[in-house]
Amino acid sequence: FIYVITAFNLAYPSTPWRFKLFCMPPNTTYDFLLPAGIPKNTSNLNGYYEPLLEAKFNSSGTYYSNLTSKTTFHCCIWSEENENCSVQADNIEGKAFVSTVNSLVFQQIGANWNIQCWMKEDLELFICYIEPLFNSSFKNYDLKVHLLYVLPEVLAESPLVPQKGSFQLVQCNCSAHKCCECHVSVPAAKLNCTLSMYLKITSGGVVFQSPLMSVQPITIVKPDPPLGLHMEITDSGDLKISWSSSTLVPFQLQYEVKYSENSTSMREADEIVSATSLLIDSVLPGSSYEVQVRGKRLDGPGIWSDWSNPLIFTTQDVIYFPPKILTSVGSNVSFHCIYKNGNKIVSSKNIVWWMNLAEKIPESQYNIVGDRVSKVTLPSLNATRLRGKFAYDAVYCCKEHECHHRYAELYVVDVNINILCETDGYLTKMTCRWSTKAIQSLAGSTLQLRYHRSSLYCSDVPSIHTTSEPKDCHLQRDGFYECIFQPIFLLSGYTMWIRINHSLGSLDSPPTCVVPDSMVKPLPPSSVKAEITAKIGLLKISWKKPIFPENNLQFQIRYGLNGKEIQWKMYEVYDAKSKSVSLPVPDLCAVYVAQVRCKRLDGLGYWSNWSTPAYTVVMDVKVPIKGPEFWRIIHEDSTKKERNVTLLWKPLMKNDSLCRVRRYVVKHHTARNGTWSEDVGNHTKFTFQWTEQTHTVTVLAVNSIGASFANFNLTLSWPMSKVNIVQSLNAYPLNSSCVILSWMLSLSDYNLIYFILEWKILNEDNEIKWRKIPSSVKRYYIHDHFIPIEKYQFSLYPIFMEGVGKPKIINSFTQDDIEKHQADAGLYVIVPIIISSLTLLLGALLILHQRMKKLFWDDVPNPKNCSWAQGLNFQKPETFEHLFIKHTESVTFGPLLLEPETISEDISVDTSWKNKDEKVQTALVPLLLATADLEKGSICINDQRNSASFSEAGSTKITCEDEGRRQPSVKYATLLCNSKSSAIDDEQGLINSSVSKCFSSKNSPSKDSLSNSSWEIETQTFFMLSDQHPNIISPHLTFSEELDKLLTLEGNFSEENNDEKSVYYLGVTSMKKESSVFLTDESGVLCPFPAHCLFTDIRILQDSCSHLVENNFNLGTSGQKTFVSYMPQFQTCSIQTQKIMENKMCDLT
Amino acid sequence: MRCGFLCRFLWLWPYLFYAEAAPIQKVQDDTKTLIKTIVTRINDISHTRSVSSRQRVTGLDFIPGLHPILSLSRMDQTLAIYQQILTSLPSGNVLQISNDLENLRDLLHLLASSNSCPFPRTRSLKTLEGLDDALEASLYSTEVVVLSRLQGSLQDMLQQLDFSPGC
Repeated sequence: FIYVITAFNLAYPSTPWRFKLFCMPPNTTYDFLLPAGIPKNTSNLNGYYEPLLEAKFNSSGTYYSNLTSKTTFHCCIWSEENENCSVQADNIEGKAFVSTVNSLVFQQIGANWNIQCWMKEDLELFICYIEPLFNSSFKNYDLKVHLLYVLPEVLAESPLVPQKGSFQLVQCNCSAHKCCECHVSVPAAKLNCTLSMYLKITSGGVVFQSPLMSVQPITIVKPDPPLGLHMEITDSGDLKISWSSSTLVPFQLQYEVKYSENSTSMREADEIVSATSLLIDSVLPGSSYEVQVRGKRLDGPGIWSDWSNPLIFTTQDVIYFPPKILTSVGSNVSFHCIYKNGNKIVSSKNIVWWMNLAEKIPESQYNIVGDRVSKVTLPSLNATRLRGKFAYDAVYCCKEHECHHRYAELYVVDVNINILCETDGYLTKMTCRWSTKAIQSLAGSTLQLRYHRSSLYCSDVPSIHTTSEPKDCHLQRDGFYECIFQPIFLLSGYTMWIRINHSLGSLDSPPTCVVPDSMVKPLPPSSVKAEITAKIGLLKISWKKPIFPENNLQFQIRYGLNGKEIQWKMYEVYDAKSKSVSLPVPDLCAVYVAQVRCKRLDGLGYWSNWSTPAYTVVMDVKVPIKGPEFWRIIHEDSTKKERNVTLLWKPLMKNDSLCRVRRYVVKHHTARNGTWSEDVGNHTKFTFQWTEQTHTVTVLAVNSIGASFANFNLTLSWPMSKVNIVQSLNAYPLNSSCVILSWMLSLSDYNLIYFILEWKILNEDNEIKWRKIPSSVKRYYIHDHFIPIEKYQFSLYPIFMEGVGKPKIINSFTQDDIEKHQADAGLYVIVPIIISSLTLLLGALLILHQRMKKLFWDDVPNPKNCSWAQGLNFQKPETFEHLFIKHTESVTFGPLLLEPETISEDISVDTSWKNKDEKVQTALVPLLLATADLEKGSICINDQRNSASFSEAGSTKITCEDEGRRQPSVKYATLLCNSKSSAIDDEQGLINSSVSKCFSSKNSPSKDSLSNSSWEIETQTFFMLSDQHPNIISPHLTFSEELDKLLTLEGNFSEENNDEKSVYYLGVTSMKKESSVFLTDESGVLCPFPAHCLFTDIRILQDSCSHLVENNFNLGTSGQKTFVSYMPQFQTCSIQTQKIMENKMCDLT
Repeated sequence: MRCGFLCRFLWLWPYLFYAEAAPIQKVQDDTKTLIKTIVTRINDISHTRSVSSRQRVTGLDFIPGLHPILSLSRMDQTLAIYQQILTSLPSGNVLQISNDLENLRDLLHLLASSNSCPFPRTRSLKTLEGLDDALEASLYSTEVVVLSRLQGSLQDMLQQLDFSPGC
């Protein structure tokens, strides 16, 4: 027989889960007849609404040593409320008896267990917890607990006793402490079904079997202990205990709060509430509160949860509530305070508030909340300034002049964070940026951008949505956070805000809403080109709009002259279809740079970046605006009655030439020849011959487009050149860079167009400068570099319509001279001294000259000693021809050593001479030495007092031959010519050509000319031939018709001839004191030879120079002078000789 | 019945709200601009440019054909199909176009609401027959054809919008 004791619940209606399971041996129990192992009449817990939630069996077991195996104990269920144990005994026959036995009987003789069964909060697991409380000896045996249950599929209102085979076995997990836990999974659909179960406990061979129990799982739900237990002091000074409710249980809970107050007096309370908070009034400063909470189903059966962990809340002597506030700028906050001073709470009327212990908060902001609680409100808060490491404001609650050291903390954060978004030019990405600078002071906070997307557009007032998404943002180097939305919804509204999370709470910045389509920063326009349009002359800028956006766009153009610092000019185009624009620019010949950017025409979005710069290319745009201004220089040739006119102009500037002048064309117009043009090329000077009375010229500038239209004309007119309307002209120097000119005009019938002002340094043919001056101007400032020590010539030409008038010329500054004389008073002292010194020097020179003259003339050699003079009677010469004929007969010609070059020099030859004391008339004769023709040089002299001729073919030949080279001697000839020309026709051409070379006034009109006096004085020409280097000198000497004219015109030597070769003294072989050399300083063709030079030194040069030809000019003004028989010698020297000579001359000097 | 009416009213409420907030002219302009933008986007995808329009591709019947679309609701349905196909494509280029289609459909709803003929939004469609096979076997063809046909459909819609299409 197996005896089974089955618990029966009908005896425990009030708290049926407080059951005890008592078991005792069969011989001590009442015998019942039970069906085979299965109780037929089970306890029906569903019959009561007070469910069987927990079976707690407080059993005391007794070990029975004489028990046999398979002994089954009879068990009964007992609860504290009902001390009678209901026992149901089944016998083998299946008959059951129910009897009630006093539980004390079981307590004394049986075993007992603590058993708890409940449904977890998740409503998925049914748990039975079994804790054996056997005697120690009984615990040594293995404990095995099995739970057998039946969970029918169908909800039955009156459950039947299940069959034995329908029970499912669950083995319970037992720990070392013999505590066992049985888990039964209950499907959600069967929560309301009746679970039939019984426990089968095996220990030490003894089987304890509980009575059959039935329960609905939903009725025994045991919630988890409440979480988030929190205590705070409310604004009214109460202690608020709050917790969070479970979200898993499908029904409302009730809570039991257990708290104790430990202050001066102990206070405990236990309250049951349905809310998740409880207010405890009259919180006391300086107290501690301990709180625990548990929960249970509010309506219907359920099991209390376990108690939550205790929470202790301690209040200080001064209670601030809230103790810390985190808020945003501009908000209003309030602090409350309960102040306990000693053992006495300060009345709220006596409480004052201070901020940072620095300033008292105005009493108008106080509020009294009851007798104990004081409140202060702080409106419109500003951001907290960082005070050292303190990032908060300290709010103090004080009693008059006494403040407790504790304070409340106020954190005010500026959350006005601007979020700026920008959609890229491809409309696929939106980048939002925001700065953290405003919230840097709040340490320990984290920032997060949250957004909410609406399907289309933004609402008028953006608000923070409860359903929002965070967006990852990355801190950039510039301190900005950057968040990227990609891909985007172009027309959706993105409401965004920044959430500041902090331990004190979270703050949200004001939300902002953006539509990506309205935040587009387009791509810059492409294919930007810039050019100056030909013939039109406008800066044309063209571009292509970007592919996105499809909206109409406006364009902005900036352009300027290319350079380091471009001065941009702006131009805006509001026509969306425009692709180019033409703009006027001042300088058509400069390089311009242009850039274009775009933006939506409706103003939404941003300007794009500037496009890549486009540059113009300088090219000819139009024909030159005008021709160059020009002026003329007239070179008059009075002999030919011709005037050569040289036109001068400056190269045309870019602005006028538009842009590059290819060439200039001079256009002539005369009455006789009509109009013709001459191409000048790129030159800026042009010379032509002015032959007619009136000659009009125009200079045209030509570029690749064509010739200039507006040109300047200049009419050269002989009659007009005598028209003088400028009465006076004055020049006043201001400084070295500026001169003022003023002039007075007289009335004239001619049409005055303008003036030409010309200036140059006087006596110098350097650059002539000129300016065109309007006719209305009476005064003009010349800005130039004026050298104070120079004299300037200023010429003012009136230009009439009919031609150029007569100029007014001044050669000095008007006012400057006066001032200079006044200023330089020292000159009055210095000048006389210089003059007197010069006078003395001149006197000394004259004396010296006379002495030297005497000295030299004493040493003049006797011509009779010359070989060629043998047999001649110098005292009575017959004729020149005779003289030379005789000479040539006895002299042989040697090789001509003269280099093939031309030496021309003026010489004067006395037409007649009889003796050295006789005065002869002299005339100036050019000495022409054409070495190329000097193989047989000849000199032809016509001594007819007025004429002299040199003939190459003539029979008269002069030959100087060194007969006895060992005997130093001087052989010379003196040529005396009249200034009149000879009549030999065949020589004329040669002479003319020579003269034209030597005395061309055209070529060298004024430079390095011999002084006037040099041509007026009597001159003598001597040929001194070295005996050691006998050469034949046979210059062609003749007189052309032009000679007289040239002489009268004060002809000059050409500079070229003078400069090409210098004439040097070669030396005198036996000079001793027989010959003397005089040189005129005025003669540019002669090397100045100092008078004090020693001839012994000069002799050294004989070896290097083959000939010596010297022209001697005797100073004097009268045409007749005592002839001195002397032979100067000239010869061209090689370069080496020249250098040696120069060095020697320096030594001599 | 009552619930259905209420649900429809609640469903259309946001569109009525936006229709009131956004001027109808702006909505029309934005609709046209968005269509142009999508067309340009498709043009900007390089491999769609070289496709010959003469060649007809068969076996992709789930892609809507180039038929005239005369009503706003029909436009919405057609765009919904395109959007579903584009979402299935693995190419990243078409994701932005899919978003644009989403906005475009919203705009069509706004236009319909402004014409006092709101229609319910086309819900998520069933799996298009043949789409998965096409995506697996002929992805390139699918992408090219769907973009090409979408471009044509959008250009057709653009013309229809000028004539105030019906609901």
